[in-house]
Amino acid sequence: MNELDELAQCLGQGQTKRVADLTQQLLDKGVGPQRILNEGLIAGMAVVGEKMRSGEMYLPEVLQAASGMQASLRLLKPYLVKEGAQPLGKILLGTVKGDMHDIGKNLVGIMLQGAGFEIVDLGLNVPPQKFIEAITDHTPAIVGLSAMLTTTMLNMKTTIDAIGAAGLRSQVKVIVGGAPVSQKFAEEIGADGYARDAVLAVDKVKQLLGVSAQG
Amino acid sequence: MNKRLEQALNCEPSDRVPFLPAIYEHKAWFVGETPSRVCRDVNLFTTAMFAEYERVQPDALTVGMDVYNVEAEAVGSKVLYYRGEDSSVPALAPEGAVFRGSEDVASLKMPDPKKDGRMPLNLEVARNVVRVLGREVPIRGAVSGPFSLAAHLVGPEHLFMLTVTHPRLVKDLVGFSAEAIKRYGEAFIDLGCGVVIFDSQASPELLSPQMYREFVLQPTQNIIKYFQQAGASHVPLIIGGNTTKIIDSYLETGANNILCDAKADSKEFLEKCSKARRAFRRNLDSANFLEAKPEELRRRASAMLQESQGFAGFIAGTSVVPYGTPLANLLAIRETVQEYSRGG
Repeated sequence: MNELDELAQCLGQGQTKRVADLTQQLLDKGVGPQRILNEGLIAGMAVVGEKMRSGEMYLPEVLQAASGMQASLRLLKPYLVKEGAQPLGKILLGTVKGDMHDIGKNLVGIMLQGAGFEIVDLGLNVPPQKFIEAITDHTPAIVGLSAMLTTTMLNMKTTIDAIGAAGLRSQVKVIVGGAPVSQKFAEEIGADGYARDAVLAVDKVKQLLGVSAQG
Repeated sequence: MNKRLEQALNCEPSDRVPFLPAIYEHKAWFVGETPSRVCRDVNLFTTAMFAEYERVQPDALTVGMDVYNVEAEAVGSKVLYYRGEDSSVPALAPEGAVFRGSEDVASLKMPDPKKDGRMPLNLEVARNVVRVLGREVPIRGAVSGPFSLAAHLVGPEHLFMLTVTHPRLVKDLVGFSAEAIKRYGEAFIDLGCGVVIFDSQASPELLSPQMYREFVLQPTQNIIKYFQQAGASHVPLIIGGNTTKIIDSYLETGANNILCDAKADSKEFLEKCSKARRAFRRNLDSANFLEAKPEELRRRASAMLQESQGFAGFIAGTSVVPYGTPLANLLAIRETVQEYSRGG
């Protein structure tokens, strides 16, 4: 097994320290940061996503994998900057008003960051007005709304409606996700996309922005 | 006393299917107030409970609004309350968890239901409601399940990580939580109430079935047994999301009323609960309760009731009713349940 495959495998096994060590080793050997990202981290997280969807992995293991990815990204970032890698796009993320859950949103942020996107994270319990201000300030390509509760997911619609009322809806695509959210619900509230997990969220963002699978 | 629920919990035939909508933060709406104000005011909370009973006529009342916060706050976690007319539900504040993960679990303060946090307030509400309605309708106190309380003591994300990195610590924390829950639940039982346990952080939407058995099953069994010995003849256990994968463990907890949430497989629940002679509450998804027309909810409720196939342990419920749901919508569901005849 080559070291990139090992990196992907260790990531899926939640071996955070080993992931960081392997990343450093690969960098020391002169392997390009983009290659480490694509063939190690993104490949590893794709497997994690598949296992999560098939019920082989659950949230605790996914969080461990994400922790490894974050550790690796911290090492890669200076090299990526040095290479002059440009972000694939800017994504605004937030958990909607009234909802204090952010595990899913954070996972999506890590995955998108790993895939080469710039993330502006507004945190949790974000009122519609704050999304509107952030769209004006940061001009993101996509706004990602998260909700964990059946009662707060209704605030996704409120937020989308408010973005529309502010005259900003045509400037951004809106994607939604969270435990109670479904494709049907996303369509009903006028979202542009839905993803059931963090890995699929990256695919959805790329699809909406017309970015190729390789980034 | 309305015996309908009691009969369903014993899987015995009754006059009709019991109706138990999940009304928590929506209680505040009945008195034109916000959840943040009502959950901290004995008089408002008591009035809201009476209003819920008068308007919706559920087959049991549950004393609880922000049900996952009370014990955690009593231990020392910080809860975020909302100001003004904001009707959001109070929740664990960011960075509000009392336990950082590096200290000894023994350093946590075991809460006293008579003194700590809002436990005394909720018990006072229960006392008031029992005094007035205790002969008419079953009244239950809402308590956290052990895994959900642990999540509110250390933070959910941190707890999930610890299940992998520090399983012993998680077991200690869940064990501490179980003791705190026993004390709080027993105080409700002493007032003549039943107890309902809520443990949605342990849902297989988040935690694997194997981890449920490893971390949650035994402490939950202990709590339920303790409540039963303290005088609660029926102890429902509510775990949201699709719990089909843990249905066997769910039944092993000893809870005599489990939840088949809107996403779960009602056929499997029907088969296994019938065999085990255990009641289950089927939830109607509440996602569109705010804007749905009563006719639509009647149709959906009717379809849900057909799923019971005449099983006497079937209870008609809803997922959490959003704050501000029109009364006509809740009444449409209730009337559909009332009109439904078993086997029909």
